[in-house]
Amino acid sequence: MSGQSVGAPLLREVPVLSGDDTVRTAVRALLDAGVTALPVADDDGRFAGIFGEREFVTAIFPGYLRELHGAHFIRRSLDDELLRRRGCLDEPVARHTFTEHVDVGADFSDAELAEIYLHHRVSVIPVLNEDRRVKGIITRRDFFRALAERALEG
Amino acid sequence: MTLAIAIFAGALAVIATERVDRTKVAMVGAALLLVTQTIDQEVAIEAIDWNTLGLLAGMMLIVRLTETTGVYTYLAIRAAQLSGGRPLLVVIALALATGVLSAFLDNLTTVLLMVPITFLLADALDVDPIPLIVIEVMASNIGGTATLIGDPPNILIAGATDLTFGQFIGNLAPIALVVLLLVTGLLYLGYRRRLQVAPEAHERVLELDARRSIEDPDEARRTIPVLLLTIVAFFLHKPLHLEPATVALVGATLMLVVSRQPLSGALAGIEWPTLFFFLSLFVMVGALEHTGFMADVADAVADVTGGDRTAELIGILWTAGIASGVVDNIPFTAAMIPVVEQLTLDNAGDTAYWWALAMGACFGGNLLLISAAANVAAAGLAERAGRPIGFVPFLKAGVPVVLVSLLLSTAYLGVRYL
Repeated sequence: MSGQSVGAPLLREVPVLSGDDTVRTAVRALLDAGVTALPVADDDGRFAGIFGEREFVTAIFPGYLRELHGAHFIRRSLDDELLRRRGCLDEPVARHTFTEHVDVGADFSDAELAEIYLHHRVSVIPVLNEDRRVKGIITRRDFFRALAERALEG
Repeated sequence: MTLAIAIFAGALAVIATERVDRTKVAMVGAALLLVTQTIDQEVAIEAIDWNTLGLLAGMMLIVRLTETTGVYTYLAIRAAQLSGGRPLLVVIALALATGVLSAFLDNLTTVLLMVPITFLLADALDVDPIPLIVIEVMASNIGGTATLIGDPPNILIAGATDLTFGQFIGNLAPIALVVLLLVTGLLYLGYRRRLQVAPEAHERVLELDARRSIEDPDEARRTIPVLLLTIVAFFLHKPLHLEPATVALVGATLMLVVSRQPLSGALAGIEWPTLFFFLSLFVMVGALEHTGFMADVADAVADVTGGDRTAELIGILWTAGIASGVVDNIPFTAAMIPVVEQLTLDNAGDTAYWWALAMGACFGGNLLLISAAANVAAAGLAERAGRPIGFVPFLKAGVPVVLVSLLLSTAYLGVRYL
């Protein structure tokens, strides 16, 4: 293995969502950016959290679904009833933002990325400047690919 | 004595605000009493009722090991399906299922298990879920009244007395069943317009595949017989010369042996904040007793009632009912136990006082959305589901429900014990 960082070259510049954006706008931005999650900023433009596939699924399905121990007993015929909550598309994205501390500073190490992916169920890690503005993201998929290629080369 | 009273009253007041975790409040209260030497450590340790703590810990483990199997979800779905999707029968089925589960598990766990599946059933039936959730919360508090292990006030009373599991059921289950059926019927009448089920919705409930809700059938086959055996042992604990805590802890140990679930996961099911809350509470009430305050309260009650048994029983019932609606019923019951002990000093065989206290403390939990842990948990789940229950809508149901419950309990006391 070389001493070079695996993660550093993987930084992607992506659009940053505002907490006031609607879920509809956020989902459109996710689809356009082709990533699984995007950073969300507060009114001052500082990092506030992330909104991605997981947050969208949580928002569009009824909130009680995640309180169930399992859902094998639910038949396909109920799906329409359960998806009636499409009203969430007009809700502010801030209401559905994942706010756990999963960001890294610009001088992050590979171990820091690995630790976050091991301990948090996130698919992207935002990289922040010193004033907590978003520089970009490292996706789990990019990180895995780069790690795997480095390991196989080595 | 003044400091012990001030700390206990202050703790009750802070707990009632719901702004600080009740366990932290109780621990601070107990710590203050120890630091100021209002009660010394030896007396504090003697004041702790280890039987209550053992019973709670054992049941927490049993609940944790069985809930992961999905068997309780199965029961809730089958109850709704047996009703054929007819609104009144759905309400009765869910209320009875909640009441019975609550009698043998605990209110909080029952609500956490029942509310999510009830939201799903309401979506399937295309009805407003809130009436069903409110009815279930009320049913859990009423059902928990029926047994020694159903509600924390009963566990506390059992810890302080020699009353058996059979005595609790024999004296409290009949009134709990009557109250449950009447309250369920009344709430249905009040909510019936919000519970109209479209004909096609019946089919959606019947289509749910209840058998697939059992997440781990093998684990269910291993743990559920132990749960049933533990319940049988509760009925027989007196002839077996075993304390309820022993039954619960032996049941939990046996279940840990037969279960394939990791020990760490099972032990994570023990709600340490609850156990520390009880522990600290015992120290605070121990201080009140130690300083002679509880004896003074008992003397004052006897003075007010003139020693009249009828007045004392009805006074305990209604005071406990109303107070438990406003303040946490656990510290209230813990404080009332020494008072009742004093009142029955001359006639320890007169168990009616304990049943009056149990009925009041348990039924009173239905008054406000914050009166019992089960109510608060249901409110949290509903909030997260995007359908908040609301303080005032709950109050509108809670006041008549508690009133009816206490009136029926008064009649029950009159018919059975006076």
